[in-house]
Amino acid sequence: MSPSRSLLLAGLALLPAFGAEAHHSFAAEYDANQPVAVTGTVSKVEWRNPHIWFYVDVKDASGKTVTWGFSGGAPGMLMRRGISPEALKPGDTIVVEGFRARDGSANASGGKVTFADGRSVFTASAEDVVPK
Amino acid sequence: MKHLTASLLAALLPPCLLAAEPAAIPRMESGVPDFTGTWAGPGFQHTGSEVDNPTAALYDDKRMAPFQPGKAETFIRSTGDVRLDDPTAVCLPNGLTRQIASPYPQQWVQTDNELVILYEYMHFFRHIPLGEPGRAHGPLFEDTYMGDSIGWFEGDTLVIDTIGLKEWLLDSFHPAAGGSRWHSAATRVIERLTPTDGDNVRYEVTIDDPATFTAPWTQPWAMQRKKTWKLFEFICEDNNRCEAGVCQAADVQLDDQ
Repeated sequence: MSPSRSLLLAGLALLPAFGAEAHHSFAAEYDANQPVAVTGTVSKVEWRNPHIWFYVDVKDASGKTVTWGFSGGAPGMLMRRGISPEALKPGDTIVVEGFRARDGSANASGGKVTFADGRSVFTASAEDVVPK
Repeated sequence: MKHLTASLLAALLPPCLLAAEPAAIPRMESGVPDFTGTWAGPGFQHTGSEVDNPTAALYDDKRMAPFQPGKAETFIRSTGDVRLDDPTAVCLPNGLTRQIASPYPQQWVQTDNELVILYEYMHFFRHIPLGEPGRAHGPLFEDTYMGDSIGWFEGDTLVIDTIGLKEWLLDSFHPAAGGSRWHSAATRVIERLTPTDGDNVRYEVTIDDPATFTAPWTQPWAMQRKKTWKLFEFICEDNNRCEAGVCQAADVQLDDQ
């Protein structure tokens, strides 16, 4: 088993127990009353502070591809949870659950990622609202 | 015979059932505990392993003393302006009381007469002179986000006394209606850290804010040493795509739309 896979699986055992309080910028940026769940292909990952961002190409009802942007926790925060940079790669097919940006753009807080083989990781910041 | 029984038991039991001997408390040559190392502070759910779960810790309102008259209404402030409701959203500092509970690691470097704490979150640091208990602070020039700290030992307990804090956020609690909890500029923070074994510390934080509360109150927390951890760089301004609540499209989104 690769180290990154080991770390990822270790992270699965640490499902976060978040309160209802939102992250510093969550309440300003995202609407906890607008949950989103999309399935698509990862096109880009920005493993940078203060929040990682990953982009997912999603086909809408008309067949048009829309690229959604999802923010997660800080790189260090995810590493300590056992999620390494190799865990999420362009080309991966994933389901992302989160909460949509208040400005109506195709951006959202990406709290939970489920891979094609059924594995799930919580990518949210430690202070974010996370999907149930 | 007793020794033989213990040996037989150790041989028969699966390794996972054998309680590991707690590590000894590291000590300086003078005999006081040595806090040098990288720690998962109160902002983590401690697992005892090197994979830990960052979870922002909040001060428990049930532990807080009663409010001073009229202060219950101003303790939580919600203005609709993110710069006031949560300044960290625009990369302003979290301040000492929130930094203590931050879900990011901290590195402690201790000598005989000083302690330096390096916080990963926003690269804040504290320099804490160690000396005689209860001595006076040096001259203060202005109230600051992290205040002026001095420290001393009472037996195995490290006491850190901080004054000179500016009026700022207490912690990362944000009610659904928005806003944050605030402490006043009269706040004194007393941290009492007592090692319980080589890797675990009881971390009590007393908030003495006479302008807000009628008495000091204490929040009990813990921190855990992580032998393989090191601090990462954290630049808040680096990639904030939703600064002040307005999300910007990334290049990859512009290319496709």
